Amino acid sequence: MSFISNYIYYIGAFGLIFIGLYIVLVKRNLIKVIIGLSILDTGINLFLISIGYIRRGTAPIFSKINIEIARMVDPVPQALVLTAIVIGVAVLALALSLAIRLYQHYGTLNLRKIKDQRW
Amino acid sequence: MRKIVSLILLAIVALGIALCVMNIPFGAPKTKVGNHYINKGREETGAANIVTSVVLNYRGFDTLGEVTVLFIAAVGLSAVLATRKKKVEKEIEPSSMILNTGCRFLFPLILFFGAYIFVHGHLTPGGGFQGGAIIASAFLLTYLGCRGRRVSERRIKVTESLSGLVFIVVGLLGLAVGGQYFLNNFLPKGILLSLFSAGIIPIIYIAIGFKVGSEIAGIIDKLMEES
Amino acid sequence: MVNPVLLIVVPLGLSFAVPLFGLISKRIEKYVPITALIFNLFVSALLIPKVIQGPIIVFIGGFRPPFGINLVAGPVGILFSALIALVGLLVSIYALDYIREGATQLYHMLYLLLLTGATGVVLTGDIFNLFVFFEILCISSYALVAYLGNRAGIESAVKYLIQGAIGSSLMLIGIGLLYGLFGTLNMADIARNIDSVSSISIFVPLVLLITGLGVEAAIFPLNAWLPDAHSSAPSSVSAILSGIAIKVGLYAVVRVIFTIFGVSSILQFLVFLGLVTLLIGEVSAFSQNNIKRLLAYSSIGQIGLIVFALGMGISHGVVGGLFQLISHALSKALLFLAVGYMIYRSGSMDISKLEGMGKRMPLTSLAFTIGAFSLVGLPPFIGFPSKFLIIRAALSKHELLYTVLVAFVLLGTVIEGAYFFRVVQVLYFKGNPTDLQREEAPVQALIPIFILIVLIVMVGVYPKPMTAILNSASSELLNRIEYIRSVLG
Repeated sequence: MSFISNYIYYIGAFGLIFIGLYIVLVKRNLIKVIIGLSILDTGINLFLISIGYIRRGTAPIFSKINIEIARMVDPVPQALVLTAIVIGVAVLALALSLAIRLYQHYGTLNLRKIKDQRW
Repeated sequence: MRKIVSLILLAIVALGIALCVMNIPFGAPKTKVGNHYINKGREETGAANIVTSVVLNYRGFDTLGEVTVLFIAAVGLSAVLATRKKKVEKEIEPSSMILNTGCRFLFPLILFFGAYIFVHGHLTPGGGFQGGAIIASAFLLTYLGCRGRRVSERRIKVTESLSGLVFIVVGLLGLAVGGQYFLNNFLPKGILLSLFSAGIIPIIYIAIGFKVGSEIAGIIDKLMEES
Repeated sequence: MVNPVLLIVVPLGLSFAVPLFGLISKRIEKYVPITALIFNLFVSALLIPKVIQGPIIVFIGGFRPPFGINLVAGPVGILFSALIALVGLLVSIYALDYIREGATQLYHMLYLLLLTGATGVVLTGDIFNLFVFFEILCISSYALVAYLGNRAGIESAVKYLIQGAIGSSLMLIGIGLLYGLFGTLNMADIARNIDSVSSISIFVPLVLLITGLGVEAAIFPLNAWLPDAHSSAPSSVSAILSGIAIKVGLYAVVRVIFTIFGVSSILQFLVFLGLVTLLIGEVSAFSQNNIKRLLAYSSIGQIGLIVFALGMGISHGVVGGLFQLISHALSKALLFLAVGYMIYRSGSMDISKLEGMGKRMPLTSLAFTIGAFSLVGLPPFIGFPSKFLIIRAALSKHELLYTVLVAFVLLGTVIEGAYFFRVVQVLYFKGNPTDLQREEAPVQALIPIFILIVLIVMVGVYPKPMTAILNSASSELLNRIEYIRSVLG
């Protein structure tokens, strides 16, 4: 039981990652694949943040002049996640614009049917 | 068939990652890099929010790259959506008076709140990206609520370019003055917890706030034109 | 001494400023990438003699590693950035006339940002910074593949984007695991502490990173996106993607394997992977009727050859691999530039429609022939010394296995020669020669083509200066301890 409570954040993050990967690999509709990419990004960000956690930690902000330093969590993963979220949003925006143009050309979003490029 | 193969592949990857994650205990003591940032962050950068000092000072180059990525997304989106045929202007039903007035009332308040978030990035949780997203949501409210109002595309482009250039010029100034390093924090660090502290950090965050806000507003504008 | 950080910052600043230039005058937008790349080429050429003696380490923000990000401008980095600037400059001169439709201002911004991302990848010394610049490279290439907006372009861009996004996500998981295990993101610091954790914990982030970077490097089996993307993009973009982008992805893979992880057990696997990629690429190219798909499959084959050479792990092999990389960048860029106007004049990408081009566009066809012969490895072009070095390095291992592998490499070269000769035959010896008049490519296209031809012949005849630089580059790649010492002191 303590194993679960210790690793619950990792299990949750990787659960999201694998759900996202499964959606991207299996689903046919392009919009669902894009949503899968978004879930994958969310899972990865959750995983990155949970690496930096300290037991009973608090935010690394000096809101009062004398605050306990030893219990502050690691600030580096938070900086990494800031960047990763923005990059995820950028890819998502580009993917959605491509989906709009793809629908205008083909009339369908079914990836199995969009196979103009032959061998 | 495809589902079974994907599930097997994912199971192998999951097993491998689980074996590796076992060696990363949850809630372990901080790393040496994290310790250094928390202990020395106040004197070396002057910001009370250590995450801000990591994002903008210690790892400022990553933030420059991230700002560029968002820029590429906005430019790429405009390039992809540029060559479509001009659609017939549909008759847009004007919104009701309550919605119209409400939106116009809330718009400057939301802008103000977003500006507060990115100006105080070095003191409280927040910063340029968060503030920029809030500003963009104000524009989204205008598009959804008072339909038919648009932001001038030229102004968005000029704001984007100028704010990006401010970031780079401030970094280059660090090369010219002070310790001869790019993105050196050469302005005086001031007193902790006051608004005008932490050297170049508030300046860069204000530039990022403007840039992110105008970029996401531009993306929303482009996508709105489609419908 | 010029600070190498300007190699990244100046093109970045100029690309931010392009809309402002566009407000002043629409006509000067096209010249901004050229200006930035001339600057980059100049600075890289200035720095090459200095970095051969020892790498220049730049501390961003003044914080020593591992508490800050640092750039490592060593012989490999500056050589790559010179190559990027050179090929980028030539292709941007070509694009002055080639890119006429669509939003041209956005094309030039995306183009310059792609090259900035590539330069950032080769110069950085921090793994998360590598990820960020790698994303800059990838996202600009997704947008550029879709630039023309036609059916093929959008479909290829969607498939490229999905595969690239999965790769980047896997890479980010690998980076997260590395940070959790080592507590630092600096490549030299991770390399120094690599033995402090068990080998299974090392293996998983290594595989994730190689898979993530390998999507862009087009290693088999992650290269399903390449034939579609490189054939549907406009020809100037194809030249950059085939010539620069996949090489930079391969550099990142090599940097991760050689410098961070330093594993020698995986090298044997790399050799086989390279050989499989080579054979699959060449055999697939043989059956193509679309000229750009043929060139794209040929790129896959050449990447396989480079991986084979680098995977041998000995100094001669690495020199040969880097030489082949440069030779392929120049030759493939020349081929795509030549093909671009041929397709434009003939109206189709089918090889049979290119009949008689030898008469209609003699200079362009000559350029195509030179590029093809150089790729196959005929003297006096640059492909000859590079392939010769690779084969000599493989044979110097004195193992039966490598002799057999060399036989397969030569088989791949023979297949390559066969399909390129078929195209050259169509260009010159088919078609009715009497009723075709000359309509040569415009001068903006002929200048870069001419410069590339001159470079290919010059380095092919005098490879000595190039091998001198490559020797110091290969010793930087293979010598981990030296790298760690020069960064961390």
